[in-house]
Amino acid sequence: MNNILLLEDLPEIRAWLKVLIKQVFPDAQIHEAARVHDALGLVSAVKFQLALVDLGLPDGSGVDVVAALREAQSECQSVVVTIHDDDDHLFPALQAGAFGYLLKEQARELIAEQLKRMSQGEPPLSPSIARRVISHFAAQTRPQERPQNMPHVALTDRENEVLLRVAKGFTLPEIGVQLNLSRHTIADYVKQIYRKLNVSSRAEAALEAQRLGLFRR
Amino acid sequence: MLLGGAACLPLAARAAESADPSVLVIDHALAVGTATGAPASFIAPTQAVTLPDDWSVTRPRFDGSVWYRASFDRPAGADPHELMALYIERACSNVEVYLNGQRVFSGGRMSEPVTRNCHYPQLASLPAALLQDRGNVIELQVQGHALQRMASRQRAGGLSALKIGPQTLLAPEYQSRLFWSVSAVEDASVVLVVLGCVMIGLGWMNRREAYLGYFGWMSLVWGLLSVRMWWRDLPWDTGLVEFVFCCGFAPLVALAVQFLLSFAGVRSRWIENALAAQWVLVPATLLLAGPSRLFFVASIWYPLFMLEIVAAVGLHLVVTWRRRRKHFWPMALLMIAIVVIVAVEQAVQQGLLPAPRVPLLQLAAPLLFAGMAARLLQVFARALRDAEDGRVNLEARVKQITTEIEQNFAQLAELRVEQVTEKERKRIAGDLHDDLGAKLLTIVHTSESERISTLAREALEEMRLSVRGLTGKPMRLADALADWRAETVLRLGQANIEADWRSPPDETEQLLPARGFVQTTRILREAVSNIIKHSGASHCKVRCTISDRQFGLTVQDNGKGIPMELDGKLDRGHGMSSMKHRAKQMQGQCLVESGPGYGTVIRLTLPL
Repeated sequence: MNNILLLEDLPEIRAWLKVLIKQVFPDAQIHEAARVHDALGLVSAVKFQLALVDLGLPDGSGVDVVAALREAQSECQSVVVTIHDDDDHLFPALQAGAFGYLLKEQARELIAEQLKRMSQGEPPLSPSIARRVISHFAAQTRPQERPQNMPHVALTDRENEVLLRVAKGFTLPEIGVQLNLSRHTIADYVKQIYRKLNVSSRAEAALEAQRLGLFRR
Repeated sequence: MLLGGAACLPLAARAAESADPSVLVIDHALAVGTATGAPASFIAPTQAVTLPDDWSVTRPRFDGSVWYRASFDRPAGADPHELMALYIERACSNVEVYLNGQRVFSGGRMSEPVTRNCHYPQLASLPAALLQDRGNVIELQVQGHALQRMASRQRAGGLSALKIGPQTLLAPEYQSRLFWSVSAVEDASVVLVVLGCVMIGLGWMNRREAYLGYFGWMSLVWGLLSVRMWWRDLPWDTGLVEFVFCCGFAPLVALAVQFLLSFAGVRSRWIENALAAQWVLVPATLLLAGPSRLFFVASIWYPLFMLEIVAAVGLHLVVTWRRRRKHFWPMALLMIAIVVIVAVEQAVQQGLLPAPRVPLLQLAAPLLFAGMAARLLQVFARALRDAEDGRVNLEARVKQITTEIEQNFAQLAELRVEQVTEKERKRIAGDLHDDLGAKLLTIVHTSESERISTLAREALEEMRLSVRGLTGKPMRLADALADWRAETVLRLGQANIEADWRSPPDETEQLLPARGFVQTTRILREAVSNIIKHSGASHCKVRCTISDRQFGLTVQDNGKGIPMELDGKLDRGHGMSSMKHRAKQMQGQCLVESGPGYGTVIRLTLPL
């Protein structure tokens, strides 16, 4: 880890997170920002490997920074760090390309552990997020709602299986045992699900923009 | 002037062969015309004529009196005591009868205005005192007009064959003829006038149905024009009467054409103007030509009128065929009948067909008028019924729409309230997160004291749950169970406690209100926290049961149980009372069973 972006508007929390990141990635260089504007400036200047992004910021939403990172630096992993645990706030960030999320009030050790896991490619997935992913893809596979020129991103059977089990409340290690899969394989499925969610959401957004553009003409 | 040279009168007339020997038919006579109507004694008829004598053939342009003289014997077959009578089928315009020099019958005035008896048959009794067995002389003075002065061939001067026989035999024939030629027409014209008035009234009330008015006026005018057939003693001289009646056809035709067009829904300013012009043109041409060419001018106008009617009929039928086909056939039949009858009448007037024994047009027209009126009333009644149905439908529709609008409005108002409430809740939630949440978070991560940090974290969780209870929508029970399971298994796993969670495998569609979800989450979280912190258990069993109206959750551990207080109650520090309180808030209950050595069982039951 060379460059890590830390976007957080509360100074105390930012300082606290910085210490935490230093613990997990001792030799990384941390770039701090308190506003979306500053963060976007950093994104265009520095190449990041990891970004911790708060959602509710004084000059906008962290989702924009996640989207910018996904656009400009596709290798960078964006992690949402938020006080909102509800999926109404989280899901748009995941659609924009975030790779996972951390809840700010959790204990230092827990966050450190989750951050380490995520950086190793094991993102978390809660039942409510899984349900939203399922309904997102269900809506996309309905032919009348998918225009011809829209790329069809479909989940594999295994990915679906994992998603359904998560939605029913099973944890990822439990699912690994049930399906006789290794921890890494399960993590790969979850990563694929995040990636496909992002790809299909972007296609949808592009199409929506195009449609609106046609209307205005 | 014809002054007869023959003083004595041989038998100039002879009896025709008759089927009935008691009835004598006289079809030959001697005749003489006199313009002044001088008495019979001064003139002697010399010209032998065949009866019926049609003046338009035998003496065209003659206007005045013609004397006919014939001699006859009393019919051999007749009973000598029988009262004898003379039957004249047609004597136009008027006749007086002399028997053996004595006047025995008069039809009315013989000078202008002459009584109009053209359509009337005449039956004259022959007094027994004057009648001899042989050598009777009968003289008839017929007052008539030249065809050219009349508007109709039926009213041109002339005399039909004469019948002499017992009155009892001739009376029925006379009655029948009188009925068909006069009484029927008279009755029909009264009926038509009444019908016309009714239709005019109907048209007046329903201005949009203009054809009703046109039909009414047409009917009325026809009825008035029919007066010429039966009103004998009009107070004007013949020329004026004929002129007026002839002119009367112009408005009649105009009304007929307008009726046909408006009934088909066509309107043409051009046609209306042309018809109005005709009203003026007809009298003008008649006046210009003078009374002695009345028939000539009329016989130019009549075919023109007929052509107009036929054209209007054609136009009407074409339009009806195109627009309202179901109306076509009844109208087509009536129209064809009208055209045929008018055509026959024209042929008679032009002399192409012999005059029928009954006035065809005058009898058929009222029937057709009645048929047409029936049709119009039927159409009108149907339209009225349709309109009524339409009105009822409209009323129902308006009522329905009003109800819908009211419902929509109520829904909209409700929605609006919901939206405002939702917006306000979101704002409160946002404020809580941004202000209170941020401050609590800062305390969590900056406090030196672990206890304060934990308290702040718990406060933050509480706040978040409260916000969720405030803004959340009802969620599926299955989804709630999934969330609880994930959290519980994760937490127990992190504390190295074996978790055994079983919930019903079937997907239930029951809903849990946001508040119920939040409170249950708190209870479950508290229970799990207790197990992790205090129980020292190595195993935790969670069971869920769902029935139609109840939801049950049992959490059991194999720890050391909750120590008793001095008063025998369970330790309050373990949050048992708050769990019970929360369950009570949801009309449920939370039972805790615990004892040293056999762990703790928490049973939560909630109504759904």
